[in-house]
Amino acid sequence: MDMFLQQLVNALSLGGTYALLALGLAVVFSIMGLINFAHGELMTAAGYGLIFSLLLGVPFALALPAAVVVAILLAVLMERVAFRSVRGASGTTLLLTSFAVSAIIRVLFQNFISARPMAVRIPMALSGTIEIAGLHLGIIQAISILVTIAMLVGLNLFLHRTVLGRAMRAAAEDFAIVRLMGIRANAVVATAFAISGLLAGVAGVLWVAQRGSVDPLMGFLPVLKAFIAAIIGGLGSLSGAVAGGFLLGFTEVFLQAFLPESLLSYRDAFAIILVIAVLLYAPQGLLARRTVVKL
Amino acid sequence: MKSKIKALCITTMLSGMALSPLPATAQELLIGLATAQTGNLAPYDQPSLKGLEMAVEEINATGGIAGKFPIKLIIKDTRSDAAQTALAAQELIDQGVNIMITPCDADPSIAAGQITQAAQIPTFSFCATTPTMPIAVGDYMFGNYPADNVQAAVLANHAIEQGYKRAYILKSPDSAYTLKLPEYFATSFKAKGGEIVGEGTFSMGQQDFGAEVTKIKALNPAPDVIMTAAYEPDFPAFIRQLRSAGVDTPILGSDGIDSPTTFGLGKLVEGVVFTAAGFATEGSPLAKFNAKYKQRTGQEPDTNYIANGYDLGKVIEAAVTKADGIEPTAIRNAIASLEKVPGVTGPITYVGTQGMPLRSVALVRIKDGGRELVSQGVPAAADVPAP
Amino acid sequence: MLLSLNPLPEAILDVRGLKVAYGPVEALKGIDLSVRKGQIVTLLGANGAGKSSTLNAIVGLIGKKAGNILFKGRDVASLSPERIVRMGMTLTPEGRRIFPSLSVDEHLLLGGAAHSSRSSIREVREDMLERFPILRERLHQKAGSLSGGEQQMLAIARSMMSSPELLLMDEPSLGLAPQVVDLIFDLIIGLRDRGLTILLVEQNVSLSLEVADYGYVMANGRIVLSGTADELRNSTEVQGAYLGA
Ligand SMILES: Nc1ncnc2c1ncn2[C@@H]1O[C@H](COP(=O)(O)OP(=O)(O)O)[C@@H](O)[C@H]1O
Ligand SMILES: [Mg+2]
Repeated sequence: MDMFLQQLVNALSLGGTYALLALGLAVVFSIMGLINFAHGELMTAAGYGLIFSLLLGVPFALALPAAVVVAILLAVLMERVAFRSVRGASGTTLLLTSFAVSAIIRVLFQNFISARPMAVRIPMALSGTIEIAGLHLGIIQAISILVTIAMLVGLNLFLHRTVLGRAMRAAAEDFAIVRLMGIRANAVVATAFAISGLLAGVAGVLWVAQRGSVDPLMGFLPVLKAFIAAIIGGLGSLSGAVAGGFLLGFTEVFLQAFLPESLLSYRDAFAIILVIAVLLYAPQGLLARRTVVKL
Repeated sequence: MKSKIKALCITTMLSGMALSPLPATAQELLIGLATAQTGNLAPYDQPSLKGLEMAVEEINATGGIAGKFPIKLIIKDTRSDAAQTALAAQELIDQGVNIMITPCDADPSIAAGQITQAAQIPTFSFCATTPTMPIAVGDYMFGNYPADNVQAAVLANHAIEQGYKRAYILKSPDSAYTLKLPEYFATSFKAKGGEIVGEGTFSMGQQDFGAEVTKIKALNPAPDVIMTAAYEPDFPAFIRQLRSAGVDTPILGSDGIDSPTTFGLGKLVEGVVFTAAGFATEGSPLAKFNAKYKQRTGQEPDTNYIANGYDLGKVIEAAVTKADGIEPTAIRNAIASLEKVPGVTGPITYVGTQGMPLRSVALVRIKDGGRELVSQGVPAAADVPAP
Repeated sequence: MLLSLNPLPEAILDVRGLKVAYGPVEALKGIDLSVRKGQIVTLLGANGAGKSSTLNAIVGLIGKKAGNILFKGRDVASLSPERIVRMGMTLTPEGRRIFPSLSVDEHLLLGGAAHSSRSSIREVREDMLERFPILRERLHQKAGSLSGGEQQMLAIARSMMSSPELLLMDEPSLGLAPQVVDLIFDLIIGLRDRGLTILLVEQNVSLSLEVADYGYVMANGRIVLSGTADELRNSTEVQGAYLGA
């Protein structure tokens, strides 16, 4: 039972990170119909933001928000430089553009920062552990669960309580009509990218805190997982992305925990089979919603 | 940054030149590099290349190998892609290279090796460690790094010496290195009376070890030691989560973890023992090399791959000197007969091997945030598990 | 009679030579029309004539077009819809296009987003709730759960939230029950009486000619007929084609 609870906590922490990433993908997709494969590079940028802030002597507590700001700025810059000109283009064009953006940023990181992983000194205090009722909760794990909750609540408030937030929800359903409210399309899209940058930045910092290093390619795997999570939940559905993220996290952790040793190396295959099963049952994803992407 | 831009320019210039087939002067040794400047192998291939370039510079400053065979490097980026590596190798063969160098990984090296073997061009992988690589390709393929089974034997010997009886191994099926090295370790460890009490698996880049750590913690009886060939980003994530969960079982690692990130983990990695391709004791050739490198480039040689790349230059120099010519088959035969070439990481021997060199392995312990040499040397052939 | 003696009110909208093509298909082949301040002008025509294209182009939703669109004397042909809306013209689109997952109140608040102050949003919102009491009852309901007539009222109220001077309406009575259609037309008259200028696209020709001051008839992307509502009602073409006489 203890073991089960412990694994539940593990699943919550991993699922939360996936949820943040998938949510970032979904926010942009819901508004622009774009699957942004450069999302992973936003995580990487946050990692480098953290490293260089620390190198400049910024205290750790301030370097964290600085890192997130780097990801937000890069996200907005991406939109301005690369995605604005293809807004409203076909899904394929958007997808290819995002592949190109992702590849270019990775090569820039490799050639102008370092191809090799750079270490981040995470304060020792964060490596400790809290014990609650016999459960061992790594401090980073605990923080990551709390931060995920805070981000989800905060984003929910933003989407329901502010003009731009409501405009984003409306734009996910019918962008053209939002413009008829006198709301600037550019502002809505830029906000969507800023939010995706924020989510990727936070996830990136949490990810880096676990791994202790940043390398140019580190964003690839998590964004792939987030993409799977978003597909499970139904692309473009925000609550679907969160559900998909947690579902994927839970699946991975519990397969890892309870698959017999001889089958363990097929864990990812089992996870993918589950995804296929979900899509067979609900081809549009669990919480799919029709999106009108017209600008 | 400046030197990086310069390096980039030189690389571009070189590959640009390579486009126009330059008739090599009769005595010029052309070395083709189908290696990664970008992608996931770049962290290993780039420093290896830096070391090699330094060796070539030194050799050419004396008029070339044995004073008569100047070296020219032709570099093509493989983007860490196996198919691209094979393509680059083919282009380099068409340009008439005498020796080929392939990336720090067995898969692209084997892909390129299929082509160079057929063309009878001697080929080195910069730092692939898979012992079956030369066997898979043929007699023109060579390694340039201590093989996985050699590293595993050293680690197993150490575990037995420490009195560990029960070991847990953590492996990943995602690469030969992360899978086979722990398996070689298990073979060696069991052969010497040890017991494997559990095996864990991870996906590379996954870096969530919560589930695995929870399982290790619940093991009864608990293992005396945990052995893994995980490296970045998996190793730091694993050990952080393991120690966070309150498990302080000793850990044995492999050469992949020798990086600033590992040392950045501070107290968490205190006491970890790992294998390395070399160790710079005071006054050793490696220490001298490191000093020279720093003086030349102004950069700390923060990885052994630089020295390892430099040693490849030394191996090639020895082989061409011995062949006294640049004909590829003669060079291949010379390589296969090399014995105790004095590299800065230690003596390097190819004679009597199946292509993976016999070279010394250092065993290093992390102590007070620094490195402490535990032992150094070539393990007895009988201890090394068959590939 | 008295009206026609007065000088005609000035045009608030003047469209000259408007052309729109969807790929190779030319939907509008040069439209000229004008809408005078305070009037209801109706745009009639069969399905596919190009009525919606005309309205969408005027309000900026169709970016690629040729010709001039003078709104309050200024050419807005190259402006984005958000700019045009902020200048005082908006569209209640065909098919209502409400946001199903947003509440009624959220529609109103979004509709008023262009206002600079919160107090003026609150004022207009109160005004709309007065005018559409049913919306007050449904204030926190999701718009997707409203009936068709309620959705249409919500769509109109949402448009009105930006306090436009000129409102383009695209088939507001489409698919509604007859009593609801009457309700909508009463509403249109009420809005005009408050001083709003309206360009109305309708399938319901007899009702629109009843409320309109002036009308245009479109076919195949061109204006084929125009005149005062009376003239159109009595024209043999309109009688034959639309009024079934
Ligand atoms: N988005 C579009 N893409 C291609 N053709 C369109 C589009 N919208 C309208 N059309 C075509 O343009 C013509 C005019 O359509 P529309 O303006 O909707 O007419 P109406 O509103 O009078 O029914 C029709 O032939 C219609 O098929
Ligand atoms: Mg229409």
